[in-house]
This record gives sequence, C-alpha cells and structure tokens, in this order.
Amino acid sequence: MLNPLRSSGGGGSAAPLRVLADEELMQLVYRGNAAAFEVIYDRHADAAFSLAYRMCRQRSLAEDVVQEAFLSLWRSGARYDRSRGSVRTWALGIVHNRAIDALRRRAVRDRGVVTEEGIEERVPAREHTELEFARRDEAREIRDALERLPEEQSKVIELAYFGGLTHVEIASMLDTPVGTIKGRMRLGLAKMRTALGDTAEVTP
Amino acid sequence: MSFERHDEDVHANVAAYVLGALPEEEHAAFVEHLASCVACREEVCSLGVVAAALPALAPPQPAPGELKRRVMDTVDREAREQEAARTGRQRPVPARRAGDGLGWRPAFAGLAVAAVIAVFAVVLFTSGGGGGTKVFRAQVSAPRAFASVTVSGGHAQLTVAGMPQSPPNHVYELWIKRAGEPEPTDALFTVSRTGAATVGVPGSVQGVKELLVTAEPLGGSPHPTRTPIIIAPLG
Repeated sequence: MLNPLRSSGGGGSAAPLRVLADEELMQLVYRGNAAAFEVIYDRHADAAFSLAYRMCRQRSLAEDVVQEAFLSLWRSGARYDRSRGSVRTWALGIVHNRAIDALRRRAVRDRGVVTEEGIEERVPAREHTELEFARRDEAREIRDALERLPEEQSKVIELAYFGGLTHVEIASMLDTPVGTIKGRMRLGLAKMRTALGDTAEVTP
Repeated sequence: MSFERHDEDVHANVAAYVLGALPEEEHAAFVEHLASCVACREEVCSLGVVAAALPALAPPQPAPGELKRRVMDTVDREAREQEAARTGRQRPVPARRAGDGLGWRPAFAGLAVAAVIAVFAVVLFTSGGGGGTKVFRAQVSAPRAFASVTVSGGHAQLTVAGMPQSPPNHVYELWIKRAGEPEPTDALFTVSRTGAATVGVPGSVQGVKELLVTAEPLGGSPHPTRTPIIIAPLG
C-alpha cells in the first residue's frame, strides 16, 4: 500500500499552494508539508479564533485554544476524512472541543458555581450579534434559524455549544430535569436542520 | 450491554453529543453505542450539520499575528524533524525493551500472553444478510478503553472510546495485517479529550486478518516501533 507519509514532504513557499483546495492541501499536510499547513491556517485561523473567543471570552485563553487546535490538526492530519465534511468544519470542530476542555478546566480551577448571570456574560445578547453579523449571510441564516426557536430551546443550544456546559450543568442551572434539557436540545436542532434545508453543508 | 437492543435513554443523547454537552462518561458510552446503532449515526449526521454551522454566529475576531508566528514556529520545526527522520539523518529509534532484539515481534508475543487482555474476537452483531454490516470488538491493552471495528461492503471503520492520549510527539497509527508483517496505512490519529476517535480504514479490508494500532512518532513509522495498544481480529 502506498503511504504518502513516507513521501518527501518539505516546506517551501506557500504562494503556489494557495490555488489548491483545502482537501488537496490536506494531502500535503499528511506528508509533513508546512507550507500547505500555513495556507490552511491562513484560511481558517480567523474563524477559529472567533469561535474560541466567543466561547472563552478571554483573548489569552482563546489564543491557547487555537494554538492547541491547529497543532493537533497538523499532527493528526491523516485523521481528516473528506467524506465527513469540509476541512473548515473539521478544524472548527477541533477548536470547539479544545475550548470546551479549556472552559471545563477553568471551571474546576476556579471552583466557581456556574450561575445564569455568568453564562449570560459569556454569551452576548442577541442585539450585539445581530449588529455584528448584519453583513454575513451565513451568520444571518443560522441566526434566524436559532431565533425562530422557542427561547427555551435556543437557550439550551447556546449554553451547550458556546458556554461549554454539559446537559447536567444546564439542567442544574435552569432547575429543569435533564431529560427535558435533552429533549429541548434535540427538538431545537431538528427544527434548525429543517430551517437550514439544503443550504447547510451536508455531512453524509 | 446488548448491542442489538435500542436503548432510548442513550438515543436521547444525540443532540447533546453533537453539541459537545455530554459529560465524559456518557460521551464514552454514547460513542460505544454509535458503533452499533444505525439510527443514532444517521441522526448524528443530520443534527451535526447544524452544529457545524453554529460557529458562524461567533462575532468576527481576527486571529493575532503573534499567534500565527507561534504556531508556525512549532510546525516548521516539526516538519524539519520529520524530514530529517525520513532521510535518515535522525532515523526514529524503535522502542525496544531489553532483550527483545527483534523489534516489534517480541512485543507482539508479549502482548499475546498478557493476562490483562482477552485474546478473542467477538462479532457483536451482523445485519443485512451476506453483504451486511459486522462489528468486531477489539482487544485494547488500556484500562476502561473500548474499540470496535465496523465492516461493511469491504470497508471498515475503527471506533475507540476511553483511550489514553498518545504520548508527547506521538500519534496513533493504524496497521493492517494480512499474511506476514503489518502494513502501514495513512491513518494517523489522536483521540478527543474523552479518548474517542472514529477512523476510516484506508482501502478495502478484504483478506485482512487483523487491524492493529500503535503509538508512533509524528509522521508515522514504516514498521511498528511499539507494542500495539489495539488488536482487532476481523473474523
């Protein structure tokens, strides 16, 4: 079996690589091509940092998260499977997982009781996001889908995804049974899936 | 636990799973459940589309230039080390134990007699007739870890949960074994914070007797340098 990992990798200039698609670049990243990785970084670092900062609400922590995530991507590039989604989705998934780890480590370290007020601080009010995303069709579409949900459903989705909280923590915070929280998450995501229709990236 | 029974409680965890909201133990149990539940896998794919779109809600924040410099310093250094290893200037040294002498083979023999590992394969379930799906439970030499291989249409996928993180500067490498020595694959992977990973086995597994996983230096190795942490007999 051919194994591109054993092929020559090397670095070199990133400029000629910028015409390649992410998936083609990942083939080079497998082989240890740092220039190909740099192009991937340049394309997705802003989105990665935006997500990490939205979750962590602290620049230094967000930077650590993004650094960890991209080094993980570099070191395990062969784990990327194009049949399961885009490189961007994969990379942002790694960032999300790392940010959750960081938030939970911080929660343990601070020994703080998670309060609803604290979470509201981490999850900006909708007026802010509406203003900031006015020029972004993609953001508007997903935001509209989220806002069409009953508040009890959108809230648990935001607390889980951006707040990094487990369903048990959310249930405790909202004084609601865990089963109800699970149901709200599932119903909310299912409605959003329907609202996004064919425009969302389909992961087979 | 039955892998054929549809467990409604576990199934209800799909949304929390795609949002990253399952506590660690439930996460590991759900990953194990996914290996055998087609309905859950389909729902994970469907709802995962929404989760993949959620990052667009984050207010735009340009990544600091200093961050890129730090990342690329590490990447450039590791690329040079990998290249040096490939060209033989810093050839990776196999991790042999005293007295092994022959590299990975004695390590495999040691694994075979290890009391901590049950040396048998379990076909967890079969569905869909002759061309259907088979799930094989693998032997894992790590406490509380789980691994299974799903084979369908000549292709296979390895699912692990509760695995330890790969050692520093190492990744897990997947090997296929027909007759003779293990063959390397392109599948290098790390595991999530809960020790979970799903890895597609490159190519067809027709004629493959076993899948193996070892921890190898970054970039992978042409031959196993460590004792396998996972052995998955396919049949």
